[in-house]
Amino acid sequence: MKKGNFRLGCDIGGTFTDFVLVDSETGNIHAHKCLTTPDDPSDAVAEGMAALSKAVPGMAADTTEFIHGTTLVINAIIERKGAVTGLITTKGFKDVLELGREIRYDAYDIFSEYPQPLVSRELRLEVDERIASDGRVLTALDTESVTRALAELQKKGIESLAVCLINSYENPAHEDRIREMVQSKAPDLFLSTSFEVLPQIREYERTSTTVTNAYVKPITARYLAKLTDRLSSLGFDGTIYIMLSSGGITTIETARDFPVRIIESGPTAAVIASQYYGRKFDIKDMFCFDMGGTTAKSCLIQKGNAGLVSTFEVGRVQRFKKGSGLPIQVPVVDLMEIGAGGGSIAKISKMGLLQVGPESAGAAPGPVCYGQGGEDPTVTDADLVLGYLDPDYFLGGTMALDKAAAEKAIAEKIAGPLNTSMVTAAFGIHDLINETMAAAAKTHIAEKGGNPNVVTISAFGGAGPVHAFGLARKIGAPKILVPPLAGVGSALGFFMAPVAFDLSRSHRKNLDDADFTEIEDLFESLQKEGVAALGSAVQPDDVIFERTLMMRFVGQGAETDLPIGQKPFNEWEKTEIRALFDTAYKRLYGRTYPDNQIEFVTFKVRAGLPPRPFHLPRPAGAGTTLEESIKGRRPAFSLIEKDFIPFTVYDRTRLFPGAEFSGPAIIEERESTIVVGEAARVRIDDHGFVWITMD
Amino acid sequence: MIKNQHTQSPFDPITLEILWRRLVSIVDEADASVARTAFSSLLRDAHDYTCMFTDSRGQELVQGTFCTPGQAGAMAIGVRELIRSRPLSDYRPGDVFIINDPWALAGHLNDVCVWSPIFFREKVVAFTACVFHHADIGGRVASDNREVFEEGLFLPLVKLYDAGRLNEDLLDLIRWNVRTPEEVAGDIRSQVAANHVCGQKIVEMMEEEGLDNIDDLADEIIGRTEKSMRSAIARIPDGNYPYEGIIEGAGNRKDITIRMTVSVDGDDIVVDFDGTDDQVGWGVNVVYNFTYAYVFMAVKSAFDPDIPINEGAIRPVKMTAPEGSVVHCRFPAAVAARMQVGHFMTEMVFKALSAATPDNIIAGSGGTPAQTNIFYGKRHDGQPWHTMIIRGGGMGASSRADGHHCAIFPANGANTPVEIFESDTPLIVESRTLVEDSGGPGRMRGGIGRQMTIRVPDGDLAPLSPTSIAVQAGRYRYPPEGIFGGSPSQKARFLKNGKAADPSGLTFCKPGDVIAFYSAGGGGYGNPLERDPDAVAEDVKKGYVSIEAARKEYGAVIDPESLKADPAATAELRSVQTKG
Repeated sequence: MKKGNFRLGCDIGGTFTDFVLVDSETGNIHAHKCLTTPDDPSDAVAEGMAALSKAVPGMAADTTEFIHGTTLVINAIIERKGAVTGLITTKGFKDVLELGREIRYDAYDIFSEYPQPLVSRELRLEVDERIASDGRVLTALDTESVTRALAELQKKGIESLAVCLINSYENPAHEDRIREMVQSKAPDLFLSTSFEVLPQIREYERTSTTVTNAYVKPITARYLAKLTDRLSSLGFDGTIYIMLSSGGITTIETARDFPVRIIESGPTAAVIASQYYGRKFDIKDMFCFDMGGTTAKSCLIQKGNAGLVSTFEVGRVQRFKKGSGLPIQVPVVDLMEIGAGGGSIAKISKMGLLQVGPESAGAAPGPVCYGQGGEDPTVTDADLVLGYLDPDYFLGGTMALDKAAAEKAIAEKIAGPLNTSMVTAAFGIHDLINETMAAAAKTHIAEKGGNPNVVTISAFGGAGPVHAFGLARKIGAPKILVPPLAGVGSALGFFMAPVAFDLSRSHRKNLDDADFTEIEDLFESLQKEGVAALGSAVQPDDVIFERTLMMRFVGQGAETDLPIGQKPFNEWEKTEIRALFDTAYKRLYGRTYPDNQIEFVTFKVRAGLPPRPFHLPRPAGAGTTLEESIKGRRPAFSLIEKDFIPFTVYDRTRLFPGAEFSGPAIIEERESTIVVGEAARVRIDDHGFVWITMD
Repeated sequence: MIKNQHTQSPFDPITLEILWRRLVSIVDEADASVARTAFSSLLRDAHDYTCMFTDSRGQELVQGTFCTPGQAGAMAIGVRELIRSRPLSDYRPGDVFIINDPWALAGHLNDVCVWSPIFFREKVVAFTACVFHHADIGGRVASDNREVFEEGLFLPLVKLYDAGRLNEDLLDLIRWNVRTPEEVAGDIRSQVAANHVCGQKIVEMMEEEGLDNIDDLADEIIGRTEKSMRSAIARIPDGNYPYEGIIEGAGNRKDITIRMTVSVDGDDIVVDFDGTDDQVGWGVNVVYNFTYAYVFMAVKSAFDPDIPINEGAIRPVKMTAPEGSVVHCRFPAAVAARMQVGHFMTEMVFKALSAATPDNIIAGSGGTPAQTNIFYGKRHDGQPWHTMIIRGGGMGASSRADGHHCAIFPANGANTPVEIFESDTPLIVESRTLVEDSGGPGRMRGGIGRQMTIRVPDGDLAPLSPTSIAVQAGRYRYPPEGIFGGSPSQKARFLKNGKAADPSGLTFCKPGDVIAFYSAGGGGYGNPLERDPDAVAEDVKKGYVSIEAARKEYGAVIDPESLKADPAATAELRSVQTKG
């Protein structure tokens, strides 16, 4: 019997677990969404597989790949459910983790709280050793001190151990030696050394990253083992891949070794999907906009590439305040996340003005209209009152919404105190959340040197397509793209992500003094590590390497990335590198300084396989004429007229390729609703994408 | 384009909030542009700059979300006076002004302000301004200069662009007076660009929203902010609250006495410095605006940290000080190290108000003042090197929490990673750790201070002598005080080869020397004998407090094996200590 050729994407989120099954040959897609099962996330996986098996009998055995994103790791950090973790570090530096960078994240708040370190002070022990910044050994490793520290930490009951020594990024000999000692003396201990996790300069960020990896390593290992067993008991015997925060996918072994790399695995998928659409449709500037219940995540994608950043934060004490979390120094897609979602709560501020978010009613109690005990009006309540959502067709009609309750809450809690009408208040909530997102979008786009007036917004998430039109108006974006299955569509990103792993190592060297042969050796050793990280199934000859230099002016605080392809480094001329730097710097910052010296700081390699072909499905719309696609008409609020006007309501599943119409329109599908105001035109393309052009 | 009927005031509350957000986002966009266009890492990484704009009357309307308290407070009053120094009819489209007169703005020459009028339909509707901290402004870099003339290039209010035409001569003059001309000129261009972004976006917004002026909107925003600030002040009990504090003179210089009276009357607050010492002959003199900035910081942070900064927030906070005093110095006083006095203003206002509002303030902090160290010398091969770091200390405790461990307060900033420091210099950092028992004991414990020990290596790679170290700091003689029965923290210390040394002026080191900087912790809050014994035990377990200090300072008996508190023994010891 011919083996089937399915790939299954599975994204376990905080509230829902999404599945998308793709037939690699036909491009046909089946989707499923069910509630997440926090006690054992693999229960939801089993449930989803069962549901999909009904639609596609025997799919489990016919599936070659299971590609997975999960919030498990980030939740373990936020909820502090990781392992009891110890840290071994250089004598004199046990407080690196607690001192941090010493900056106050809110200059005016004298009562700010700060995150507690993941390793308590009594579990941070020092060993006698010292490496200099150029890699010389200043003090040899005192192995006795390692034995003592290890014994003490074991006595204190640690399950996982992090090792991070000063300047180890330049010379890992001492960390390596400690690893060997731990492996022989305490083979059951989970171990993470900073050189293996990410050998980059800046001891606080590297320690924080290594410690976080150690903290979540046991829980991740147990979870992945369970998932593997569960899938195999369901008849799946293909390959499991895990989505990385950097936008690549990796094997289960690598994810187990480096769980700190999969923290943002869920949100990344939408960006990867947008990146793919950007390339496919040749859109130079794409703005990925994924608005869910609690937050909106967005990312500017220029020429089909989402930027990577090398640092981000998790577990913020003040959810949306930069600097209030733990820094993680691993490559991650440059996402911007703000507290704006369907569940964002509206209230009256101290200034007597309307305020929406960042607090969210979340899934429980949820918006007032869910009827689950929520009392504070939210964005979803406003969207319902304004006619954008159909109270009888939320999640395809499986969940009835209580419009009267939403109206009452907005009237009493917002309109009353502001002395305005209920509808004006509801419109205020909708408009204000759009303003908040627009402000954040404009800043993000400005930081990346883009122009909001030329971006195409790609809208995802339950609330994304509802708000994309208002957002586009506010930032002056001319076009919106709503991909098929936008409500779960980010899971499609899983299929478009390449098998890839990013490595880096710091080695600070002035360009004039640098030995390019030595740097070539460094690149080659990174590449070797990269092949190992890709797993045993990979043929080394198939691997493609992308090299990047991180350089800066001597004395400057931030580095500039320079992609340099695959050419052996000793074949480069110093003048060529200099020219590359000046060109890149000028493009980013407007000018350069040819007389100032530049230096290498970090060398990066992405090791990956070529992207696998992915065929977008060609759904045949059930309808053949526009009339057949129309479900009806209902009054909804016009952002332009500032009043209710009749909107035509379309059924997305009946819209056919080539269909064209003008706003005002509402396009409904099971997981999401697309709102189009009157000053816009809509076209459906061959793949069922909805293209909205603003007039 | 959509025309709204927003021309009549007042605005409805929803429209107002939306327009206000738009204004904030305009400044933040200008702010973000700096990250792309500025050169200096002080700007790009430490964010030592502030963008803002005013209405046509010079009243501050919005300031960037990320700002530094010293610049922010000083700009709110300084920019208004600059704008009003000439009639509106004098301004032309394309005019760009530049000034670093310390008396006009943020109190030292390094803070350079660039500002411009914004025109809409041939009328001045607003002004946009930004202050950047330039790492280099020429002059003799030290805190012991006698007059401002030694401290660098002084720019009075002059036009950088006249009706759109760049004054090349002026730019040349600046270039020839600084050590790194390309960087300074580049960062000035970045200031012009930031203002340009701000101005352009304001004009776009006015067109889109059908506004014909900004002043009506400003009245609403400023009015609501003032009301909110006033209601915060009204919660402070009325009264006159005097305070006298002493700031140590560096080296063998005379101590400086600050006298203030904080008067609260309904929703007005006035801080008067009558009786404060005269200005001094070294670089710690503070101009009025900078003193005001940290007085304002105290009021805002204690009573409503969330209030946006604009004309409305500063209106209810008044300050008077004798001209020629150290907190309102006269030209040509030396001002480069102004933070060594200026940073104390916040803590002193807290102390004055402590009895009246015990839950809103914190005890003294080891990060007051911010401590700056400059290191320079030559490597073994003769290559010169130079670096600067800033250090904080433990923060003071409050009625609700122990002090945060290590921070610069009331200013702000980040430390330099050891790995960056060592690759920038030939020096070796031997340790950087929290210091046991450095936090002031109290019912709530002061934050722990930290030490940093640096060795000048000997051997093959030893730097050429001398390695020079300049220290701008404080708390060597007077530690941060505790409050309401809380104890002071340990003092800051400066050790050379294990012995106390004089931190003022330059310290010269040779290979093999070891220098240790200990920052003070924060002061304690409330009687330490009232501290929960379990909290003391936790501090002992973590090594913040020694078993001996637990007993002596906190009257807490901690079992050395289990590291748990012994409740009975503790109660007994405390009853004896209370009587004693």
